Amino acid sequence: MNEYLALANSKIIYIIVAVILFFVSVFCFTFIFRSYRAGIKMGMEKSLLKKAITSSATFTAIPSISILLGVLALGGNLGVPVAWLRLSVIGNLQYEATVAQIAAQGVGKTLDSSILTMDDLVTILLVMTFGIIWGCLLTIFTLKKYNKKISQRTISNKETNKPSFANIAMVAMFIGLCAAFLGNYVAAFIVNGSSIPVLTAIVSALVMAVFEYLIKKKDHKVLESFSLALSMIIAMIATVFFSLIL
Amino acid sequence: MKDSQFDYDKYIEDTHKLGRFFLSVGVIALLLAPFVIAYFTNAQVNMKAFSTAVSKVLLIYIPSCVAEYLIYVPLLGVGGVYLSFLTGNLTNLKLPCAFSSREIAKTTAGTKEDEIIMTLSIATSALTTMLVIALGVIMIVPLTPILQNPVIKPAFDNVLPALFGALGYQYFIKDLKLSTFAMVSMVLICIGIPSLIGDTGTMIIIIGALTIGVSYLFFRRTQRKGE
Repeated sequence: MNEYLALANSKIIYIIVAVILFFVSVFCFTFIFRSYRAGIKMGMEKSLLKKAITSSATFTAIPSISILLGVLALGGNLGVPVAWLRLSVIGNLQYEATVAQIAAQGVGKTLDSSILTMDDLVTILLVMTFGIIWGCLLTIFTLKKYNKKISQRTISNKETNKPSFANIAMVAMFIGLCAAFLGNYVAAFIVNGSSIPVLTAIVSALVMAVFEYLIKKKDHKVLESFSLALSMIIAMIATVFFSLIL
Repeated sequence: MKDSQFDYDKYIEDTHKLGRFFLSVGVIALLLAPFVIAYFTNAQVNMKAFSTAVSKVLLIYIPSCVAEYLIYVPLLGVGGVYLSFLTGNLTNLKLPCAFSSREIAKTTAGTKEDEIIMTLSIATSALTTMLVIALGVIMIVPLTPILQNPVIKPAFDNVLPALFGALGYQYFIKDLKLSTFAMVSMVLICIGIPSLIGDTGTMIIIIGALTIGVSYLFFRRTQRKGE
């Protein structure tokens, strides 16, 4: 390991990162306890609240492994603790990888551990952080007012008995989100012949269709919390076979 | 059992206070981190290189940060917004996770119950990600060859297709006409401008806006028929 990587992976950086992530964990735990207690006081079923927690944990576990792969990939050049920090807060892998490259070019280098120095690393880290904090700043300074406006509109629609477009818009937004990803895989297949992502998505959709049938028609409600995670696992196993065959 | 003394407005007010506190301290800590690391490793932030690089980054990312904020606030609830903007991975993880919990809990966006479910879901999702990454970092030596095994690696490279395939099924069957429109538009735009393939960050905003616009036209048409 060269001198730069030894420093980038040094204990002190791990400690700095661990302190920040510990603070973020306290934030999450505080909000879990508060909302759980509020839910109980509002008369919500304990089982429903617990289900929201377990289904979210199972939902997130597998995609988190792909984020871990991102930590390994970025960690090779930025050191593991910095990659760990960047992929645990704000941003996402796509952003971090792109901005790390732009920032490395900014210091006149490429993202290569053999030529980077600690001066470059702290500069790159500052660029990566500064570039993505704007959503947080908007939230700190404007969320209360913005949310009030949205709530007032919802209340006035309810009072005037106007059918609300808000729920339809939310389903539409999510259809748009899924179409942006899935359409991207179809287009990549047509343009570049890249078939594995589209096949993976098809397998996952088919498995989910089977689970939906079992949940809705055969009343296997226990599958509700795990259907998404299981669909993903089965599709990812299929991906291994596709990549061996194709 | 329902507590008649419970004041939901006070709960939201306190969520704002706490959220702003945690988010402010979090942002300050993140901005200070490079300087603290520099202090302990005798390094220096290159301010000239920083300003050159950051001007490029801001040009690309400020518009999408603002658009994300305006679009996602109504979807995630107050607690969910504070949590997801600090913990990140919004479109590829937090949003699908929160929507899946909403489906399971059968709550409606904008209701008090939904606020609770969104907060629980997003906080749990953030903690799970942090836990998985922390465990991965602790076991980095034995895990690296397994995760980077060329046979298994394609599975992890295709997590998003696996996620959105299943989610897409759940949402597309809610409105097949709108879904067909969204998919066809996305594919045609990407075939027309191949450089947009892979740029899902931009395309989510374009296709999201188009889909909401078309769903509004459908909504107005149904209303007019009802009148």
